[in-house]
Amino acid sequence: MKLTAYHRAKSLADARRLLKELGPTAMPLAGASSHSFVKNDDEKIGVDIADIGFEGVECKNGHFVVGANTRIADLQAFHAPGWVLDRVALRFVSQPLRNMTTIGGNISRVFPWNDFPVALLALNATMTISGEAKTSHLASVFFDGQPSRLFQPGDLLTEISVPEIGEGSGFGYHKESLVNMDFSHLTIAAWIRREGRTIRDARVAVGAGVPLPCRLSALEAELVGKKMRRGGHRRRRGSASGRCFLERGSRIQQ
Amino acid sequence: MNIQFTLNGKLRTAEVEANTKLADLLRELGCASVKIGCNEGACGSCAVNVDGRLINSCLTYAGQVNGRTVETVEAIGSLDHPHPIQDALVEEGAIQCGYCMPGVILAAKALFDKNPSPTEEELAVALDGQLCRCTGYQKIESALRKLASEARS
Ligand SMILES: Cc1cc2nc3c(=O)[nH]c(=O)nc-3n(C[C@H](O)[C@H](O)[C@H](O)COP(=O)(O)OP(=O)(O)OC[C@H]3O[C@@H](n4cnc5c(N)ncnc54)[C@H](O)[C@@H]3O)c2cc1C
Ligand code: FES
Ligand code: FES
Repeated sequence: MKLTAYHRAKSLADARRLLKELGPTAMPLAGASSHSFVKNDDEKIGVDIADIGFEGVECKNGHFVVGANTRIADLQAFHAPGWVLDRVALRFVSQPLRNMTTIGGNISRVFPWNDFPVALLALNATMTISGEAKTSHLASVFFDGQPSRLFQPGDLLTEISVPEIGEGSGFGYHKESLVNMDFSHLTIAAWIRREGRTIRDARVAVGAGVPLPCRLSALEAELVGKKMRRGGHRRRRGSASGRCFLERGSRIQQ
Repeated sequence: MNIQFTLNGKLRTAEVEANTKLADLLRELGCASVKIGCNEGACGSCAVNVDGRLINSCLTYAGQVNGRTVETVEAIGSLDHPHPIQDALVEEGAIQCGYCMPGVILAAKALFDKNPSPTEEELAVALDGQLCRCTGYQKIESALRKLASEARS
């Protein structure tokens, strides 16, 4: 990507004004780390949103409200009961990249290897876009295609609301890569709610190795009603990941 | 465009293109410690501190540091007055070609400044992203481990 001009916005209103006035070649610039993945002759005007706020994590009524400009390193450093994105952040690329990139940048433009869309799908997070009005989208809608389809000119993602992992529920995350620096070969995130040893509710999402992250609804349905066994997840691991590819493959062919 | 920022304690101004990367600007300004290896965020040899955070300067636009504070390894120690991290690395024989060292030293300093006696895991997390093509990491790790255990005792 080639930046032909650079502007730094002072506030959300200023960023929205700049993006609208500068027209379709203007784009929000958060950590700017994705620019090396875009064609070199693609000319853009950068509107830096680093100073407009929307940073940090707050607990509100059973949810964590994460500002879209929160750096991955700050997700890594935040710890609270029911918070799991620190574990996802720890597997994110490298410390310098965790320091410079934002969760908003990771999920507004989804590259196949991006980690957070997978975790947010399993966690059933809600994304808020600030435009003329605020609109909220469940992860299953937000990631059902490139999120850019939901943005009007000047719109910005401002908040991500992540439900706490409550009593009786759990979250697992696995990124298959040789080292953190490697792009993921396969990323799986799972959330379950159980009563006793019976699984009552499940969300499983997969990313990398597929064009866009997605939920595995057939696998989720298969899990509901099953009894949990100690070590059972290890025995099932091979067949579960094989199944993911089959499911996604059949969806691609449709 | 004109930018102004603090580089190693001194206020600097520079005329840059919107597309100029911070790594190129810093080298033009004489910071030869900033090395360009992969030029795509994958090796850490261009790492510098911006407002106290270690970042990859090959991915950062010069405009992004307008009004901010940048620190390179030149500000940390010199041949005559090396920083204890530099001393530890030399004593352990942890340096071969040295290309990765500015990034390694800055990454270690960012950690030791916050936590003088980090655990092995904390060291590994902080150095995540600093690739060394020569040493196989063992001597770098043992130099930093020694420094951490000295701080504990
Ligand atoms: C070598 C390398 C390896 C990587 N490996 C991985 C990996 O394994 N897993 C992983 O998850 N990530 C990985 N990444 C990072 C990832 O691919 C993206 O580059 C990063 O998440 C983008 O975040 P950013 O804050 O830099 O956003 P930017 O690059 O600034 O922006 C990304 C996109 O989102 C838009 N945008 C940003 N913020 C907003 C907002 N608030 N509202 C609307 N639009 C917005 C921008 O306009 C742009 O289109 C890697 C990056 C590099 C350089
Ligand atoms: S040159 Fe910047 S990370 Fe390799
Ligand atoms: S000493 Fe040569 S790259 Fe590390």
